[in-house]
Amino acid sequence: MHKPNQLLKRLSLLLSALYLTLGTSTALAQLKVTATTGMIADLVENIAQDKADVQALMGVGVDPHLYKATQGDIRKLSRADIIFYNGLHLEGKLQPIFDKIARKKTVIAVSESIPENRLIAYDKLHDPHIWFDVSLWQEAAKKVAQSLAQKDSKNAVFYQNNLQAYLQKLTDLNAWVKSEMAKVPEQNRVLITAHDAFGYFGKAYGLEVMGLQGISTAGEFGLQDIKQLKDTIVSRGIQAVFVESSVSPKFIESLVKGVQAEGKKLVVGGELYSDAMGAQGSNAETYLGMVKHNVETIRKGLLGQAHE
Amino acid sequence: MSSFDLADWLLDIWILATASLVAASCAMVGVFLILRRQALMGDAISHSVLLGIVLAYLISGSNSLWVMLLGAVTIGLITAWLSESLHKVSRLQSDASIGIVFTLLFSIGVILVSLYTGQIDLDQECVLYGEIAFVPFDTIIWGDMETGTDIGPRAFWLILIVFLIVLISITLGFERLKTVTFHPSLALSLGISIPFWHYFLMTLVSMTTVASFDAVGAILVVALLIIPAASAYLLAKSLKSMLWLAVLYSQLSVWIGYALSYWLNSSIAASIAVSAGLLMIVTLLIMQIRKVQQKRHYLQQLNTEQA
Repeated sequence: MHKPNQLLKRLSLLLSALYLTLGTSTALAQLKVTATTGMIADLVENIAQDKADVQALMGVGVDPHLYKATQGDIRKLSRADIIFYNGLHLEGKLQPIFDKIARKKTVIAVSESIPENRLIAYDKLHDPHIWFDVSLWQEAAKKVAQSLAQKDSKNAVFYQNNLQAYLQKLTDLNAWVKSEMAKVPEQNRVLITAHDAFGYFGKAYGLEVMGLQGISTAGEFGLQDIKQLKDTIVSRGIQAVFVESSVSPKFIESLVKGVQAEGKKLVVGGELYSDAMGAQGSNAETYLGMVKHNVETIRKGLLGQAHE
Repeated sequence: MSSFDLADWLLDIWILATASLVAASCAMVGVFLILRRQALMGDAISHSVLLGIVLAYLISGSNSLWVMLLGAVTIGLITAWLSESLHKVSRLQSDASIGIVFTLLFSIGVILVSLYTGQIDLDQECVLYGEIAFVPFDTIIWGDMETGTDIGPRAFWLILIVFLIVLISITLGFERLKTVTFHPSLALSLGISIPFWHYFLMTLVSMTTVASFDAVGAILVVALLIIPAASAYLLAKSLKSMLWLAVLYSQLSVWIGYALSYWLNSSIAASIAVSAGLLMIVTLLIMQIRKVQQKRHYLQQLNTEQA
């Protein structure tokens, strides 16, 4: 039998032990970061590495224009020390929510520091798909590193070093993309996909980009658009068109059938990752892997080597 | 660590409180819609609000929430009024009249959007429909932005006001609403104005649906207007019990749905709507089983008597 005060002593010992474990776990706690897209999450992971616990709201194959919140997303947003999002209306309805959260938390649009003259304008809006131009993504990387350093100043040097290393990788990647695209004869450098996500890619690497749908995946397209596309394909001798991971392939497939019915050669050159990255093990689950996959698919397709 | 848990707990409370109030308000007005065979009025208003939003924007030049809400409530009333008038004048069924009116108003809205507003994002999905998951983040700060106190989500306060208006209106007008709904000819002879109570009810419907759209989005509102009231209709013996049962069903749907969304990590609105549907099916099944049992019991009695 224990005397009551002995029991109390043990209890308080247990409590203090519990408190200590909790205390140390907070001391070691990483910065909690929530990113909207997988691409931004990947960027933050490269710069923050083990100093941050990074969560993405939009999973594999999720189209940001059509994103629907799940139960778990509430906690991802409320627990985050920093929230990174793309901006330029990529996240649509989330934008006003981010404006509200910004009253209490650090909420950063990674596209914020890109000068307006480098953005593609559509009427009053800007094309949000900045990650297709690797040099623009470098600007996003700088913004992320700067925001992390401000929030967590004791690791500022660490973030700066990681940023420099990652910027170097992106510079190499950018040069590689340019050399790959240079292998395609100039008149064949036409990229036809389901929606206009690849504007920056075309602008940066010298391809003409045509899409079936408008800038937002929610819009529809007319018969006139399809006819125009068909004419271009036939007259320029284009070998391949492409489907996207986050957009239904049925429009592109019907375009291919239409051209084939006229006795011309056209294939689906492969699947490009546009608004979301690939699944684990697809080799496209990182930004670097995603760009490499897209560029190789485009090169092979346009050179007529799609199914080798 | 503990501060995070506290915040989590608060998030759940705000979402559940908002959803519960939306569900209770929708269930109460839903009862009258079901009884008057106008169950799809909520769906109709969810479409025709587009015209209200566009007109409000064109007239005022602003897309602030209050202007949008006013436009939406007004067009909701017009939808209800036109449907009822068409039903009376043309002798078309009320569902057909509702269908004609809301598609017409919605299409006018679509044309106005393409004519006048061009590229600005002006549709109900963007400016009016909310997402229940984000309710806790859109809070009102009382006083100064920096030093003021956070008094909780805007959507919660808005729907609380609407809930109180609905509750008080139905409590005070209960006898008259009952007479008008079940015995229109008696109401006439008693000198109760049928048009007045009709528009009174439609004002409640329009206000409730629009405030609920703002809090939780369209599909959940349409579901909560119809399903709890329909489940209650299966069991209830009086208007009063139907109202109580509808509110009970709506609250069960919210709680079961929230747990479901937690378990599956899915959309909260969709989970609540699914739970409402499941509760309805369970109710139907239990009633069928009981019916069969009663029949068997009756037959057994008959057999023993014959023997």
